[in-house]
Amino acid sequence: MPKWFTPVAFICAAMFAFSPLVIANADYESTMGLVQKIFYYHMPSAWMFLIAAMVCGVASIRYLVTGDLRHDRTALAAGELLVVFGLLTLVTGPLWARKAWGTFWIWDARTTASLVSWMIGCAYLILRRYGGPGSEKLAAALALFGMANVPFIYISVNYWRTIHPATSVVPKLPFTMGFPLWFCVITFVLLFIVLMKLRVRLEEQQTRVDALYLAMDER
Amino acid sequence: MTKMLKRWCAVVLLMILSGAASGAAQQPTSQPAQPTQQNEFIPIDQLPPQEQLPAAPLLIGAYVFVLAVLFVYVFSVARRLTNVQRELDRLDTTIKQGRA
Repeated sequence: MPKWFTPVAFICAAMFAFSPLVIANADYESTMGLVQKIFYYHMPSAWMFLIAAMVCGVASIRYLVTGDLRHDRTALAAGELLVVFGLLTLVTGPLWARKAWGTFWIWDARTTASLVSWMIGCAYLILRRYGGPGSEKLAAALALFGMANVPFIYISVNYWRTIHPATSVVPKLPFTMGFPLWFCVITFVLLFIVLMKLRVRLEEQQTRVDALYLAMDER
Repeated sequence: MTKMLKRWCAVVLLMILSGAASGAAQQPTSQPAQPTQQNEFIPIDQLPPQEQLPAAPLLIGAYVFVLAVLFVYVFSVARRLTNVQRELDRLDTTIKQGRA
């Protein structure tokens, strides 16, 4: 592991441990009250979900163009994180919506597109796991659809009729709500970096194991 | 004696009146408004939204879910990494023994 890994992992763990305190001290939102505090984990999860889809897509393009297996390993790691952070987003969102909107789910553009993107991530992992030899390229092509969906998810709340808060909410946050949000965003970004590194390392070691088995078979 | 009694009665009466007057003057600010008496109960189909669902279980549920999923995922990656590392070490040893 590189030298930066341990300090970053430690800072990330400390920030995670401290985050409930920061969130508890944040102001209540005027119309939603207590339940709005789900936002401080929901939105960073959603951002990491979208970043993971972008990383998976870009790495897949690079893999398709260059054939370099390092990009394929990065894409696979990001694909797994896409599914994990997507799951967090798609569960915390409805728990918030149940109180704020009176229903767990509405089929608006953002929630539907997010669900589709998450299902593309699941399909990517299933294809990688059970697709057999050569499925990497097919899965890489699938990851492109997941990446293409990201801008649509982001801007959907500004262009289609929905009760989902608009993207303008974040820049307008007062300090008492903005500080906890950005604290949690930094925490989740560090977590994303740590998990990506761990997951890529796992793939690298697995590749070495496969290479050793091949070398033993050739003897 | 009756004069004395009359004076005392006048003082007590003044105190009562002044107390009542000041109390009446302070009543709107110091005491909360009493709820009006209900002559009938009016039924509604559903509770107002703020009374229907407590927010705390949803909030706690969301945070517990996030932390639990992240913990399980980190544990899963760490376990897989340990297994692969162990297998790698075993293969390295086997290859070295084969060479020797």
